[in-house]
Amino acid sequence: MNFLSQFGKYILMLKGMFSKPENAKLYWKEFMHQCAEIGVGSLGIVVLISVFMGAVSTVQTSYQLVSPLISKSAIAQIVRDTVILEFAPTLVCIVLAGVIGSKIASELGNMRVSEQIDALEIMGINTKTYLVMPKIVASLITIPMLVVLAMGLGIYGGRLAGSAAGILPVEEFDRGLMENFMPYNVTFALIKAYTFAFIISTISAFFGYYVSGGSLEIGRSSTKSVVVSCVMILLADYALAALLL
Amino acid sequence: MIEFTNLKKSFGEKLVLDGVSHVMETGKTNLIIGTSGSGKTVLQKCLVGLFEPDEGEIIYDGKNFTEMTQDERKLLRQQIGMLFQGSALFDSMTVQDNIKFPLDMFTKDAHAAKIKRVDEVLERVNLVGSNKKFPSEISGGMKKRVGIARAIVLNPKYLFCDEPNSGLDPQTSMLIDKLIAEITKEYNMTTVINTHDMNSVMEIGDNILYMKNGKKEWTGNSKDIIFSDNQGLNEFIFASEFLQDAKNMRKLEAQGKVDQNGDIKK
Ligand SMILES: Nc1ncnc2c1ncn2[C@@H]1O[C@H](COP(=O)(O)OP(=O)(O)OP(=O)(O)O)[C@@H](O)[C@H]1O
Ligand SMILES: [Mg+2]
Repeated sequence: MNFLSQFGKYILMLKGMFSKPENAKLYWKEFMHQCAEIGVGSLGIVVLISVFMGAVSTVQTSYQLVSPLISKSAIAQIVRDTVILEFAPTLVCIVLAGVIGSKIASELGNMRVSEQIDALEIMGINTKTYLVMPKIVASLITIPMLVVLAMGLGIYGGRLAGSAAGILPVEEFDRGLMENFMPYNVTFALIKAYTFAFIISTISAFFGYYVSGGSLEIGRSSTKSVVVSCVMILLADYALAALLL
Repeated sequence: MIEFTNLKKSFGEKLVLDGVSHVMETGKTNLIIGTSGSGKTVLQKCLVGLFEPDEGEIIYDGKNFTEMTQDERKLLRQQIGMLFQGSALFDSMTVQDNIKFPLDMFTKDAHAAKIKRVDEVLERVNLVGSNKKFPSEISGGMKKRVGIARAIVLNPKYLFCDEPNSGLDPQTSMLIDKLIAEITKEYNMTTVINTHDMNSVMEIGDNILYMKNGKKEWTGNSKDIIFSDNQGLNEFIFASEFLQDAKNMRKLEAQGKVDQNGDIKK
């Protein structure tokens, strides 16, 4: 019952976002600001984890592939496919749920608790359109870009680790990358990235926008938004794999 | 003029507004007074639609606010300025950007014209030169004044102030009251002020609504209040012995029982 009413409120929030901006220029400015906050703001952590996850997958794959019958270049194929299919979209988005999700939820929560949202409403501004919409659109644009970046950097990290640890030379890794490449995997990863971006931004915006109480509640709902987004990402991950692969 | 009838609002079991009716007059400072927790903030938020009343009707100059659609309310709200009890400044923006925000959103003026208007209202609230400070860098009283500046920057038709002078020293407090009263007359606004500051009541109380237990207990102006024999009101406004004395003096004065030297006639 409680879940249903919460879900209804969530849908109504999304529906309420679609209204005509009072002033297109200010909305654009807010949107660009959010792109910088969300996209550029999480660039560092994405670069770091993607390089390392690629490196680790090269090392671990070679550790598990002991058979002399399989050529070394298969390591590159495996690294490529796991990074594109799972690591770049899912792992990165789980981390982003923490980074971006808590940022969105606590920003909106703070504005709610200190009556800044009410102040905007009183001026005659639709705060769902002005505050929530730019965050969601910015996430939908920047998160998939971050995921694509993570794919590239992940593979690069694997290539680097392969030569650094003496597992396989760069030329062999590159040869492996070209073998049996399925472009559909990238499409699938992008579908996942858009889905996860929607989950992260809308859920954290919902928990932040509807905070009631004091600063303690802001912390609580930002934690809740991270947990709920992560669970939803994992469920969606499974559902998409079952449906589309 | 804002007219409301039989407003009721409860939170769960707790009945906060129990059928309040009153008329807030144009060109006057309309005060809502009452002890802490008597529902002043809730009443004001119902009037602007931040809370939906459970029952009752609110009319803004003949237009029924209760029946308006969201879009109609949005339009009306562009004529409303509001100062929140906690100021509610945008803490990511400087003082100047806070005040300029409504101008940016709703006018097409040139940048220079907006800055000029910002400086104008900053001067009115005695805050010249604070343009570049952030809300976290200024005192509570200054925040209040920035809040007022932001509320009046678009020359609203309706001004709501929730405790504009709580937390201010008596002198600044007086200044703010005078400022609000002045602009109310100057622009013929309908101003609604929540307060439990007895100085404000006596100085700018054109039309006072005294609330108790969610009901309208007394109404009148600052002159009537001296002659009121409502015990609750008397205990609330003239809480200290000093204020009781001051009130009795005023009463005698009004009755012509005091001579030029301030002594009581025999
Ligand atoms: N959002 C809310 N949810 C539940 N109860 C509330 C809410 N807002 C106010 N109340 C209750 O309504 C009553 C009146 O509160 P209100 O804030 O209007 O008082 P007030 O007259 O403004 O007091 P003060 O002078 O201290 O500001 C209080 O008992 C409060 O507990
Ligand atoms: Mg209050």
